[in-house]
Amino acid sequence: MTAALTAKAGPNPAMRLIKTYPMELILTVLIVILIFTAPGFASLRNLLNVLRTGSMLGIIAFGMTAVIIAGEIDLSVGAGAALAGCIAAWFAGALDDSLGGLVAVLIGVVVALGVGFALGYSVGKFRHWFNVPSFICTLALFTALRGAANLITGGFPLATFPPGFDFFGGGYLFGIPFPVYIFALTFAGMHFLMNYTRFGRAVYAVGGNMEAARLSGIDIWWVKAMTLGLTGVMTALSGVLIASQIGSGTGTTATGMELDVIAAVIIGGTSLFGGKGRIWGTLIGVLFLGCISNGMTLLNVSEYWQYVVRGGIILGAVLLNQVLERVR
Amino acid sequence: MLDALSPHHRTGGLLEFDAVTKVYGQTAALSQFSHRFLPGKVHALMGKNGSGKSTLVKILAGVILPTQGTVRVNGADAAFHTPHDAFGAGVVTVHQELSLIPSLSIGENIFLGRLPMARKFGLHMVDWPGLHQAAAGLLQEMGLDLDSHRLVSSLSVGQQQVVEIAKAMSFNPSVLLLDEPTSALAAREVHQLFTLVRRLRESGVTILYITHRMNELFEIADTCTVLRDGQFAGSIEMTQASPALIVEMMFGETAKAKRPARKAIDRSGSPILAVTGLTRHGIFADVSFEVHRGEILGIAGLLGAGRTEVMRAIFGADPIDAGTVMLNGKKVGSPTPKQMKEAGLGYTPENRKEAGLVQVLSTHDNLCLASLAHIAPSGIVTRAREQGFVQRQISDLGIKVPDPMLPVSSLSGGNQQKVVIGNWLNTAPKVMFFDEPSRGVDVQAKRQIFDIIWDQAEHGLAAIFVSTELEEVLEVADRILVMRQGRIVAEVDPTATTLAELYRLCMEGPTT
Repeated sequence: MTAALTAKAGPNPAMRLIKTYPMELILTVLIVILIFTAPGFASLRNLLNVLRTGSMLGIIAFGMTAVIIAGEIDLSVGAGAALAGCIAAWFAGALDDSLGGLVAVLIGVVVALGVGFALGYSVGKFRHWFNVPSFICTLALFTALRGAANLITGGFPLATFPPGFDFFGGGYLFGIPFPVYIFALTFAGMHFLMNYTRFGRAVYAVGGNMEAARLSGIDIWWVKAMTLGLTGVMTALSGVLIASQIGSGTGTTATGMELDVIAAVIIGGTSLFGGKGRIWGTLIGVLFLGCISNGMTLLNVSEYWQYVVRGGIILGAVLLNQVLERVR
Repeated sequence: MLDALSPHHRTGGLLEFDAVTKVYGQTAALSQFSHRFLPGKVHALMGKNGSGKSTLVKILAGVILPTQGTVRVNGADAAFHTPHDAFGAGVVTVHQELSLIPSLSIGENIFLGRLPMARKFGLHMVDWPGLHQAAAGLLQEMGLDLDSHRLVSSLSVGQQQVVEIAKAMSFNPSVLLLDEPTSALAAREVHQLFTLVRRLRESGVTILYITHRMNELFEIADTCTVLRDGQFAGSIEMTQASPALIVEMMFGETAKAKRPARKAIDRSGSPILAVTGLTRHGIFADVSFEVHRGEILGIAGLLGAGRTEVMRAIFGADPIDAGTVMLNGKKVGSPTPKQMKEAGLGYTPENRKEAGLVQVLSTHDNLCLASLAHIAPSGIVTRAREQGFVQRQISDLGIKVPDPMLPVSSLSGGNQQKVVIGNWLNTAPKVMFFDEPSRGVDVQAKRQIFDIIWDQAEHGLAAIFVSTELEEVLEVADRILVMRQGRIVAEVDPTATTLAELYRLCMEGPTT
């Protein structure tokens, strides 16, 4: 048996490495190439910038991974992030006089996180009660939340944040951008949740076979709604960080972010059919997307070509996973 | 194309089998079957599960080719490589599972894949008026009062079955094969179906009719042909037949099932599970029974008798309309799977692929699926913590698994079934429902699964065992309830009954 298994996994250790860690290897190769070809890629300043940009995306992507493993999808995260920033900015402006800037913005952030959770959880409940697919529900939110964000700001950036608030999105702690800490914490938290808790195991089961999970006594609708709610919170968190970084609540920010988030999850090997995927894979996907965008910009590749290349990468990653599935 | 729409019938379909044999690997599903089905009659085809009936159906439907022998239609040799070949030779099969598309109209369903086309405005377009006209003609000719424009989704199951037959008739068959057409129908709908079948017989079509319901035979069939263990067991005119005679032909000399010595069950205490007056409208009604500690209760019945439905309802997987469930002396309000699991009930579903296992997850994960609350009361799970539970089931149940971390889909059917059972044994249940635990597993695994059930019962588990194979129910259970059309109609002692007798109880219609 063992002989048969090793034979299947590849005759030599190198082949086995390629089959087990394909995206990790591709990312390493990409980084090595960029170090030698892209001017300034290897500078600390640039790498920290890549990490900062990747953090905003990654925080949401970890939540999205759970949603996709549970067999659902959330298309509203870009608009949700914009809305969260605008809510925080609105509270900062409205309560500034009575409570002071920092308390006001803090209330705004808490409200934004709460709204994020409620929206995500409701999507799950809509799926349960009215059998509306999460694709449709979040497609509706995708446009509605964008509208709501602009209604709050009146169409103009709402620059109401108190001084010092820009630290969260734009500041450095011990030389590392602050969002990177949140990114790392989210990664650790989600990795733990998905691998070492009952809830995480239930997410895999629900996405892998809803009926089997239900008959095993798992509350499938609660599990699905919770993954969506969790992603709502992370979306809001990321939205607040983005608003903090650019210094205002802006209705048009994070446009198209949902597609990058989903792309990162898919590049990381998570199956859109549900039941399969890893938080670690999503981390690789986020870093991969970050490096390739940054690298192309440094290499002066036109923005239009960047779109084309990113599309190709998504397709390529899915094909690679399908091929590996067969040879494994 | 137009030919398909014109209502002319071929008549007189003489269907002959000459030493037809179908071999799968080592086993012959059908061996040396020879018979002549005379034209213009309704021929019933009987046989218990595994007798070769479905093989015969598949050969006639063009799904498989016989290994040896020839089939002749009206004297001409016929080898059906595809369903299309069968249609071409005038042999049309109506399968047991309905194959209509609910969102399309009756007319479109009838002519699906061969929609009539017409040239309009210079374009080649679907000829909708022509289609519905042809469909209406067909329906009218068959004496059916149905509007061809109606969506199939708005029809009752009985009406859908009738449309299915209308679709078959649109191929102008000389031989029509009906595979258990009444299994999903209510009594009134059965009556309508029979009217239609008689009408078709009068028009000269040869009908092969497969059923498990004995009383239907005497109502509709002219002859009855019986298969046993893949062989021709006899054929008689219905005027000379009796239920006893047919059952004898189906079973031949039957040996008594061999059972291990079982402890006497103590039924003096209060039952661990008691169900009273359980009803789900249209599915089952007034089901009451009790199970005691250490007892294996068998539920026998034909497909569609309501066995699985009752178990699913008690487990909370489906709603119930009336009745009470008492588990461990406590009344359960409206059960949910989660609540019943916590109360000590386990359920291994009949189709492990769709409902029993998460195929993409590992054997390890599947063995812990139902018992996570038990393994990790705090909510935090580690592989090490799960390991003990996984290893215990693998060794206790003899699950052959090269690596528990590989997807469960890589295991054989028997081992997958053991994983389903192990998943539930990990919850330390007091009552377990085994729904078709032996379906699609090899003989050796089947024995092992029965041993597991007996062994668990010895240790105090109350079990309910359901199988389509009556031999198995007779072998495994301590007591058997017979279900027919959603009701419990008899209780039998397996040591004091025969297979033929049990079969008769399951099969008998409500009126006879």
